[in-house]
Amino acid sequence: MSAEKDKSKVHKLSLKGSSKLIAEFFEYSINTILFQRGVYPAEDFTAVKKYGLNMLVTSDDQVKAYIKKIMSQLNKWMTGGKISKLVVVITSKETGEHVERWQFDVQIFNRPSKKAASKDTSKPPDKENAAPIDTPEPPPPEKTEKEIQLEIQSIFRQITASVTFLPQLDAGNCTFNVLVYADADSEVPMEWGDSDAKEIENGEKVQLRSFSTSNHRVDTLVSYRLAD
Amino acid sequence: MATASVSTPLKSHHGIFSTRTAGGRIPLTPSPRTRTTSLATNVSSTSSPFTPPRQTTESTRIVSQSAFGNVTSYFSRSTSRNTYRDSPKSNIAKAKKSPKHLELGVSDWTLTGTGTTVGQTPSKSASRKKGPLRTRSGKTTVRLEAGDRFIPNRNASEGIVTAGSGKLDESHRPKASNGEGSTVLANAVSAFDLGGLAAEDDATVALEGLNLGDGDETSSYTKPAPDTLAYESSLATACGVSLNTRILAFKPAPPESSKPIDLRSQYNRPLKPANAASAQFRRRVLTAPERVLDAPGLVDDYYLNLLDWSSGNQVAIGLERNVYVWSAESGTVSCLLETAADTYVSSVKWSGDGAYVGVGLGSGEVQIWDVEEGTKLRSMHGHDTRVGVMGWNKHILSTGARSGLVYNHDVRVAQHKVAELVSHTSEVCGLEWRADGAQLATGGNDNLVSIWDARSLGAPKFQKTNHRAAVKALSWCPWQPNLLATGGGSYDRHIHFWNTTTGARTNSIDTGSQVTSLRWSNHYKEIVSSSGFPDNSLSIWSYPTLVRNVEIPAHETRVLHSCLSPDGQMLATAAADESLKFWKIFEKKPGSASAISREGGVTGKGGDMVKQMTIR
Repeated sequence: MSAEKDKSKVHKLSLKGSSKLIAEFFEYSINTILFQRGVYPAEDFTAVKKYGLNMLVTSDDQVKAYIKKIMSQLNKWMTGGKISKLVVVITSKETGEHVERWQFDVQIFNRPSKKAASKDTSKPPDKENAAPIDTPEPPPPEKTEKEIQLEIQSIFRQITASVTFLPQLDAGNCTFNVLVYADADSEVPMEWGDSDAKEIENGEKVQLRSFSTSNHRVDTLVSYRLAD
Repeated sequence: MATASVSTPLKSHHGIFSTRTAGGRIPLTPSPRTRTTSLATNVSSTSSPFTPPRQTTESTRIVSQSAFGNVTSYFSRSTSRNTYRDSPKSNIAKAKKSPKHLELGVSDWTLTGTGTTVGQTPSKSASRKKGPLRTRSGKTTVRLEAGDRFIPNRNASEGIVTAGSGKLDESHRPKASNGEGSTVLANAVSAFDLGGLAAEDDATVALEGLNLGDGDETSSYTKPAPDTLAYESSLATACGVSLNTRILAFKPAPPESSKPIDLRSQYNRPLKPANAASAQFRRRVLTAPERVLDAPGLVDDYYLNLLDWSSGNQVAIGLERNVYVWSAESGTVSCLLETAADTYVSSVKWSGDGAYVGVGLGSGEVQIWDVEEGTKLRSMHGHDTRVGVMGWNKHILSTGARSGLVYNHDVRVAQHKVAELVSHTSEVCGLEWRADGAQLATGGNDNLVSIWDARSLGAPKFQKTNHRAAVKALSWCPWQPNLLATGGGSYDRHIHFWNTTTGARTNSIDTGSQVTSLRWSNHYKEIVSSSGFPDNSLSIWSYPTLVRNVEIPAHETRVLHSCLSPDGQMLATAAADESLKFWKIFEKKPGSASAISREGGVTGKGGDMVKQMTIR
């Protein structure tokens, strides 16, 4: 096979496909976090092959349904390019304190033109600096799906490995919430409501790896409460 | 900005008014911060060619007077405004209450408006202007159109709004009055107008337009109250977060984790869960009935025991006043007996050899019938309440009655009553001898399980109070003699497993429905339970893993009785839907090890039997 032929065979991800890929990544992330951090008992999870890894996905019907509900809306927003962040917050049931916060920053390279335009005009010039998320970056060179997969794989490896430095959670005493940073003009269904950022006070932050497709870039950040 | 210092002392007072001014003046305010805005507006007014700073202050005062005067006349209901009326000072003081309000709101406006609005204001004022004093007075005209819309909303927000409306009212009059109106006020109103124009909707939008008007397209996003919005905006700027995004939380609470979580278990977790492998080897259970027979007149009473399968492969069933015997071998059915008209059959039980059947009656009488001959051998009296359950141990027939008493009858002797087992205080509905006859388990409507030692029947060996409903289902494990399973009624729904040597409870299952009977398999390490409301099903549980292997929706109404065929492969169930069904749930695989016990001579005749099954 010549190199040229190879190239033509490389399948470029469309914006839609890329959104789907990222939504899927979120789904597995949520599952992985729930498992790794012991929000739900380990027996509730089953292993599936994904990204060349054994990913653990909940098999508890209620949790499954809960995540599915989140994902169905997330998918819509992702395809519409409405999302800039997804956050999984782990909260102590007893104190209501936020103890851990996993943040996934989404950056979209090729926004639909209309969106971009409206965004620019509405934005006062002095905010340009304040919000680095919105600054368009030149899209990185095209990647093959395999490369993207490898990037995602390494993120999950990192999430798994992060258990070693994250403080031990009070197993069974934590619950979680999913936050989304959406554009102001997104359609919001009943189940979703405005919220604060649920930031962790005096939290330690660790930036994990990131991955990118031709249309999106996802950065991962975990912040956690330092032990007293 | 030397002027800033001039205005500073006045800040709090002017803050209120000057913020309004800000509307017109924003172009000059460079900083988004709110504090500075108020300053800046003052500055701006001073810096404007028309107005020297001193004038501004004066004019504000005048305006405030006139404006509020009008306001009160229009909106006398609002108390706060009434107080305003007294003097400009007092209203300043009042206004202090909500400084955040004003400043923030306007600041927001200023923030965003920098680009477009700036251009707008001056041009508009220029074009419309006719006021002798200031540019702004001209704008009052503009206000007029939008003005009406604002009025109804005034009560919502305080100082600013009042001022605005005041101005509006004024402007209704001949424009000359504007001459008195200060630039400041005019500006304020113009600010409103801008917002209103931008939104071009209804009053609410217009009001919020104060904050958002600059936003132009974003006007759709008007839900939050103006002050929260203003607060958010200021916060957003402070944190460097774009206002165009909102943080949304998925509101429903995540499901609770049912089980305790032990994190240690997941750090050395096998890649494949242990029972995943077993799934493919899990045996298949036939879930369709082999045979369905009618059982008309079956009494729908949980406390009776009307079905039994003999070691001679005959099924006896009590239907109201009759006992029928159905031969599984030949498929023939015969009516064994019919009771007197004033009573009914409350229990049937085959003797161990399958030759005789004990029949308990509603009157408390116990009869023993020879099935082969079709004749009654004897009647045994003693109970004065119905006999709901019986059990054979060789020549001993134990009978449990509604009174809670259990009698042991030696059927060979005339003085048949050999023991009285006193433990239950309510109807006895479950009674089961262990296969070796060394122990007897009884269950009653008093939620009690009693375990008796056959050698000392004076008192039960153990009394178990764990069930919270009547205990009808009792079954001794065929491969572990000291293991007893008991199932509770509809309020309890549990199956408990007991070690009858120590009396310890070894396991429990919450079945989710009334347990009407329990049968251990002879061939598999399994136990089958039949359910009443709400499932009306048969469930097969693995023991000791307590995993439910299969659940068969067996009947339309609650399953009342069940019994195993002598070869242990087939289960017969009778339900309140007046049907008798046969299930091959413990089918033996060809070549598999022989049955643990109870293996009758029927093996191999099963197919035969089914073929010939005919009843009624």
